[in-house]
Amino acid sequence: MDSIQVNKDTTFITELESILENDGPYSSWELFSMAYHAELTTITPEFKGLRAFEYLPHVKFLDHQVEAAEQVIETMNGRAILADEVGLGKTIEAGLILKEYMIRGLVKNALILVPASLVSQWVKELNEKFYIPAVAHRKNYSWDQNIIISSLDTAKRSPHREKILDIDYDFILIDEAHKLKNHKTKNYEFVRSLKKKYCLLLTATPVQNQLIEIFNLISILKPGHLGNYESFLENYGKDRNKIKQDAYLKQLIQKVMIRNTRQNTTLSSTKRNIQTVWIDFKQEEKEVYSELESAFAGFSSFSKITFLREICSSREACYLSLKKLNETNPNPFIEQVNSKIEKLPHHSKAEKLVELIKQFGDEKVIVFTEYRASQIYLQWILKQHGITSVPFRGGFKRGKKDWMKQLFQDHAQVLIATEAGGEGINLQFCNHLINYDLPWNPMRLEQRIGRIHRYGQEKDVQIYNFATKGTIEEHIMTLLYEKINLFEQVIGNLDAILEELNISNMESEIESIYNESSTIGEVKIKLDNLTSIIKSSMEQSQEGQNYGYH
Amino acid sequence: MAITNLNQFLEDYFVSHRCQILENKDGILKIQLTEEMDQALMNRPFYWHYIKKIGQQGQPMDLTLITNPNKKNEKGEWIHFGSPRLQQIINHLKEKEKYTKLFQKVVSNQNTPLFPWLVVNLKMSYKGKQKKDEMISIGLQLVNGNMRLEMMDHLQKLPLQMAISDYCYTISPIIKLQSGFKRIESVISSYIENQTHEWALESLQELEEEIKTVQHFYEGRTEELEQMEKEIEEIKERYHPVISQEVINGGIFYLTE
Repeated sequence: MDSIQVNKDTTFITELESILENDGPYSSWELFSMAYHAELTTITPEFKGLRAFEYLPHVKFLDHQVEAAEQVIETMNGRAILADEVGLGKTIEAGLILKEYMIRGLVKNALILVPASLVSQWVKELNEKFYIPAVAHRKNYSWDQNIIISSLDTAKRSPHREKILDIDYDFILIDEAHKLKNHKTKNYEFVRSLKKKYCLLLTATPVQNQLIEIFNLISILKPGHLGNYESFLENYGKDRNKIKQDAYLKQLIQKVMIRNTRQNTTLSSTKRNIQTVWIDFKQEEKEVYSELESAFAGFSSFSKITFLREICSSREACYLSLKKLNETNPNPFIEQVNSKIEKLPHHSKAEKLVELIKQFGDEKVIVFTEYRASQIYLQWILKQHGITSVPFRGGFKRGKKDWMKQLFQDHAQVLIATEAGGEGINLQFCNHLINYDLPWNPMRLEQRIGRIHRYGQEKDVQIYNFATKGTIEEHIMTLLYEKINLFEQVIGNLDAILEELNISNMESEIESIYNESSTIGEVKIKLDNLTSIIKSSMEQSQEGQNYGYH
Repeated sequence: MAITNLNQFLEDYFVSHRCQILENKDGILKIQLTEEMDQALMNRPFYWHYIKKIGQQGQPMDLTLITNPNKKNEKGEWIHFGSPRLQQIINHLKEKEKYTKLFQKVVSNQNTPLFPWLVVNLKMSYKGKQKKDEMISIGLQLVNGNMRLEMMDHLQKLPLQMAISDYCYTISPIIKLQSGFKRIESVISSYIENQTHEWALESLQELEEEIKTVQHFYEGRTEELEQMEKEIEEIKERYHPVISQEVINGGIFYLTE
C-alpha cells in the first residue's frame, strides 16, 4: 500500500559489519537470547486492549476507570475530556491512559498542567502509583524533560511560554480544564497553541453556564467537531437546556467526553451519613448574641451579620473583628460588648466538638472552620483535652501542605482546616468530617466533603454539621440547606442553577436578605422563597445533568 | 516465547553476568553484584568516581529481588513486569546484547565445516490510530541463500558457544552481509505488501474526516491559517499509518548446515 509510510532499520547491518571487523564485542548466546525474549515480553501484539494492567499489579482499578481509559484510547483516539464528578478518580484514569501510551511507545514526552497546589500530588501519584518518572518543573529546568508537571500559570508566562511552544509534545494534560471555558482568555489561547498529539482535559464541571463553554473545550481537542463558532452560537446560543433536547448534540459530545457520576459507579457503595449536631448557647452567650443582634442597628448590617456568624464560631473570632472595628470607628458600645466577650466561658460549640471527638476514640477527624481565630482556639482547646491536631490553610506553601497532611496521616488525630484548605488535598484515609461552621456557599460544602468522599475511601463517610439553636445558623440550616437536601445528594450542577437564577454568590444573596429585612419573620419568608426557587430549578435540570457518558 | 518465569530469567541474567547468587528460594533472590553490574544497575556514579579517584577497590552492593507477590513485604525489592527495576534490566539487555557471533558446538574428531548464517530479529510496529508490534526472526544462509523463519526457535535447540569447536572450520560466505540484509528486507517488504492493512485504511479514513472537520471550522477565518495548519499537522502525526522496522538484535551464526 503506497499510503503507508515504511521506516526501515538503516543502522543495524553497518554496525554489525564494523563489529565483525573489530572481532567483537559479542554477546553470549544466553544474554542474546534473553534480550530477544525480553523484547517479546514488552511488545504489544494487539491493537486493542490495555497492557498497562500487567505493569501495575499493585493498583486496584474500578470498573468505570478501566472503561474510561479503554474508551479514550480505543474509540476517542487519545483526545478526550474526562469529566467525572469530583472524587471518582480522574487522575487515575489519566494516569492509566498515559501509562498505556508510554508502554506502547506512543508517548515519549508529556506536559502536564495542573493547579499549583496540586503539582506535588500529581508527581507523587504518577511516580508511586504508575511508575511514571514525572518531575515537577523547577526554576531553570529545561521544558524538554520527558514527563514534566507544572502549573498553567507558570507555563503561560515568558520565558517559559516561548520554550514550551517550541516543543512538539506527544501528550498534554490539563487539570481543572474549566479554566479554559472562555476562548478569549490568555489561558485558552496558550493551550490552543501548544503542539500536541494526544490531549486530555480534566474537569468536574464541563458546562457551568452556557453551552458555548463546552464548545470551547472541544475546540481544543477537535476543532470543528461541533461545527464552527458562528453556527454553534446560532443553533445553541446561550441556552444550557438545549443539551437535553438535542439528542444529536448529546451524541456528538459523548464522542469526546466521558462523564461518570457517583450514581453509575461502584463508588456509591460508600455512603455519606449526615447528621446535624445542635448546640445550645449558654445564658451568657445568648446575651452577647442578642446584644449584637439588636444594638447594632447603627452600623452597616454587613458587619453585623459577620459578627453574628463569628460569635457562633468562637469568642476569639468575634472579639478580634470588633476590636479592629473599634480601632477605626471607636464606639463605647463595642468596648462594652467586648468586655462581655472577654468574660465568656469556653464556647459551647467548642466543648461539643471535644465531646464528639472523644467519642471517636482515636479515629481521624477533619474539622472545617471559617475563621482563623477559631482555628487557633480549637487547636488550643483540643490540646487541653489531650487531642493532637494540625492546622491547615490555603495560604500554606506547597511543601508545608504536604508536610501537614503527612503529620495528620501519621501522628495527629485531627486536622483543622480553614475554608481555603478545602481544595487541593485528598484525605481518603479519614472518614469523619465536622463542619464546625457551615459555609454559606453550598459549592464549598461539596468541595469539603470531596476531600474525603472520593476514590480510595473504603468506609462510609460520616459528616457532622454543627449549628447553634436560636441563631443565624439555625435559619440557614433549617430553611435552606435541609430543604434543598443539600447534604443528601451530590450537588452536581447546583452552581449552574444558581447562575441561571442570577445568583452568582449565594453568600451575598443571604446577606442581602438579612440586610433588607427588618424582622426575623421577614428573613424567614425570604429564605423560604429562595429555597423554593432553587428546589424547582433543581428538579427541572435533573435530566439535563445526564448528558455525559451514560 | 516471552518471559514466563521471572525468577528464572533474573537468575540467568545475573549468572550470565558472573554475579554470585547468595540466596534463591520461594521467589526471593539475593545476588552479590559485580562491580560492572553495580555500575550498570545501582545508579551511584559518584561513589565509583570517588573510589577510582582515591585508588581504592570499590565494594559492589548486594541486591535482593522478590518475585513472589506473597512475599512482597519482606526485605528487598518487589520486582514485577511494571517495576522500574525490571525495566532497567530489560533496557540494559536491549542496549548491550545487540550483536553476536556464535558457533554450533560439535563433538567430533573429523574435520567438520560450519556454514555462516545471518540472523536478524526484527520488530515491526504498525502505527495508525492504534499501534501493535510483531516480532520476526529470520535466518539467511550466506552460502546457498536458504532462508529460514522462526530462526530463534530453531537456534534454541542447538548447542551454541562463542568459540569454534575442535576440528571445525568455517566456510566463507558467498553472499555479502549488506546484500544478505537486502534479501531479508525484500522478503519483509513482500510480506507487508501481501497484508490487507485494514488498520491503515481505517486510520486514513479517520485522518481525512478530521482534516475536513478542521477545515470547516476555519472556513472564512483567514487570519487563523497558521493555527489550522498546525492542527492538520497534528492530525497527520496522530493518524498517518506508519510501519517501522527495528532490528532488536542479530549476528552471524556458524552452523553445521
